[in-house]
Amino acid sequence: MNHVTTAVDPEKILRDLRDLWAQLAKDQGASGGVLRACSMTLMVVAEPDDPADAESARKTIGVLMHGHPSRAIVLLPREGGEFSGRVFAECWMPFGGQQQICSEGIEITADSEQTDEVARLLVPLIAPDLPVVLWCRGPRAFLDRSLDPLFPLANKIIFNTRAVRHASSAIEFLRRMRKDGRQVADLAWTRLTGWREAVAHLMDACPGGWLAAAGGEVRIEYGGGRPGTRSLYFARWIEWALPGVKVTLIPVDGGPGLHSVVFAAGGAETSVRLGEGATLEVRTPQRTYSAVLPADSEECLMREELSILGRDLVFDRVLA
Amino acid sequence: MPESNPFADPLRFERQVPECAIVIFGANGDLTKRKLIPSLYRLAYERRLPATASIIGTSRTHMSDDEFRAKMHDSVKEFLEDSPFDEDQWNGFAKGLHYIAGDLSDPKLYTAIKEKLAALGRTNVLYYLSTQPSYYGEEAERLGAAGLGHTTPQGWQRIVVEKPFGHDLASARELNERLHGVFAEADIYRIDHYLGKETVQNILAFRFGNGIFEPLWNRRYVNHVQITAAESIGLEGRGAYYQEAGAVRDMIQNHLLQVMATVAMEPSAAYEPDAVRDERAKLLRSIRIMSPEEVPLYALAGQYAGFRHEPGVDSSSQTPTYAAATFYIDNWRWAGVPFYIRSGKKLPKRTTEIAIQYNTAPHALFTPDAGGVTMRPNLLILRIQPEEGISLRFLSKQPGSGMRLRLVSMDFNYGSSFGERSPTAYETLLEDALTGDATLYTRQDMVEASWRVVTPILEDWAKRKFEFPNYDPGTWGPSASDEMLARQGHVWRNS
Repeated sequence: MNHVTTAVDPEKILRDLRDLWAQLAKDQGASGGVLRACSMTLMVVAEPDDPADAESARKTIGVLMHGHPSRAIVLLPREGGEFSGRVFAECWMPFGGQQQICSEGIEITADSEQTDEVARLLVPLIAPDLPVVLWCRGPRAFLDRSLDPLFPLANKIIFNTRAVRHASSAIEFLRRMRKDGRQVADLAWTRLTGWREAVAHLMDACPGGWLAAAGGEVRIEYGGGRPGTRSLYFARWIEWALPGVKVTLIPVDGGPGLHSVVFAAGGAETSVRLGEGATLEVRTPQRTYSAVLPADSEECLMREELSILGRDLVFDRVLA
Repeated sequence: MPESNPFADPLRFERQVPECAIVIFGANGDLTKRKLIPSLYRLAYERRLPATASIIGTSRTHMSDDEFRAKMHDSVKEFLEDSPFDEDQWNGFAKGLHYIAGDLSDPKLYTAIKEKLAALGRTNVLYYLSTQPSYYGEEAERLGAAGLGHTTPQGWQRIVVEKPFGHDLASARELNERLHGVFAEADIYRIDHYLGKETVQNILAFRFGNGIFEPLWNRRYVNHVQITAAESIGLEGRGAYYQEAGAVRDMIQNHLLQVMATVAMEPSAAYEPDAVRDERAKLLRSIRIMSPEEVPLYALAGQYAGFRHEPGVDSSSQTPTYAAATFYIDNWRWAGVPFYIRSGKKLPKRTTEIAIQYNTAPHALFTPDAGGVTMRPNLLILRIQPEEGISLRFLSKQPGSGMRLRLVSMDFNYGSSFGERSPTAYETLLEDALTGDATLYTRQDMVEASWRVVTPILEDWAKRKFEFPNYDPGTWGPSASDEMLARQGHVWRNS
């Protein structure tokens, strides 16, 4: 990763970016030059005064850029911190390729109370005519209104409610944003893709069978003491797909998150349970098999979300 | 996933390939080594193929399962495209590889395949014919005779047929009848790997996903279209095949006419297999069929110096290694717009592209200035390979005093927007066949329509004795090709 320290003046930052590209081209001149890649602006807000979170954000962005080349703008809030900024480039050589691909980034450190000013600064730094995605990494957005000025800048805002204490109010917050016309996503919902896919395939294998049976019920078991956003989303998703079927959330021992979902109808049960490793054990009256859960690293979840820049009708329905 | 499934989420869920077996006829051949097994391995690597999938290779050569696995291991390592090889992943994948040696004309081979499928418990089966085309009909019939090839409620049975689909219209129809004797049309997948290329699929996205291009995509604005598929290499050991096929059968009848259909077709009502294929077929049927008198004017053959010395080639061969043709489409959108198509071997570089040349501005506002240009047509270039992308050429003012114009290019390069690798055409098409999506496969009516287009050319050339060779390796083909365009005031885009 190449970088240049700069003062926080948008024009100077853009000039520094130009200089950085000129330098990169010069460095790579003899070996085919570099390809400047950008398909969106990805704004990332790290947790305040948390160097570990900042480092983790940088790493994730580095990985994401390969599939979603972007102008990354990383905001590092610091209590009482002074404005400072630097530009950087993330470069990689595609396997078997001859030309390096590079994406650019801007890192801004600012006082965590000055988001209004940061938002004004960001406007000229956004790559023109491309989608803008804002990723709020921690629970801060749900605790205070300090990130609100950033929301109007983005076409899509990605939250992560995994660590929030009050799941219902976090969902209510997202629901209000959705009602205000903002496109929102939640990595807690993204984590459910593997579970939801396993359930959908059950339905494919037995369309109109046990799930649609009148008088059936669905029991969702979760751990961690109180239902997190994942369990609530999952329940809402099933309620929407199977109107009229009773859905019950049941606490069980064990870590937070979903533990199992049991579909019961006509005396027969079909279940999907968390298995060994990253697998789900699926039991139907006819057979038992395992389904592999997709990796749920931050990179994988973000990759999934960044590939959906239009409306996500299913999540919208769950939030409705 | 059926739309009726209330849990469906096509934005997020991967298409699911069910438990299945893939039976490859011609498993010792080049296509299997270079394309099929590397593509299947890559699908498995990305978990787009179930871990339980079985691949059964067959050919005459005697080999054990382990010998077959070892051979394929080396092939995948050598031919895997834009992707590293993972030994652990291979070990898992290789467990699903099996091999049966046998003669394609021997019923015992088909009985052995049937027994193997039963032993593996596979009812969904994809048969891939990667043998000499002359065996296709017999292979299908022998599968049928062994009780294979029929889709039932217990599982589907599909067949993938590699090009060429016949060597003329009559043989294409005959092959079709033989395939239909066993397989339903919906289970026949005629593969044209050009249609699986990301950049060819992107033509539809570019045309029909955007609002600004389609209004300019017709005879009012388009002056002419050039479709070029140039290869810098020669025969690469395919002398015997190529001598029989030649440039028209090898490239134009299938790949390039399909590309032309994709460029010129009307939008379909939905992106669904039959809706898209109906429009492609309709376009192919709209291509004007040349009369015998027109062939010498609108089609041209070439052969590079040295072709007759290639291994497997007759010393007096009349096979064209270069072909160019002017086609017209008789419909309201394209009436009068020439579509120039050319394909050749040993040309200066490897490139496949579509160049759409627009009419020049109706009035010359800017006068030529020293070193400047004026009144140049806009050019939209869709690059299929290499350097996949799209460019729009237009005039711009040169910085400085005076109004001096210069041609500039606005470029979209795949790599600049999508940093990661794209799936290869075979990965896309194999996954499509395994999930029952025939959108990118050709249908019998499309095959017959394209044979009808090239039949007058082939018939005329079969009667003629050409003064071959007529172009040197490393040049852009015979000069007569340039003359064909010059008669209409056009020039090949040789860059």
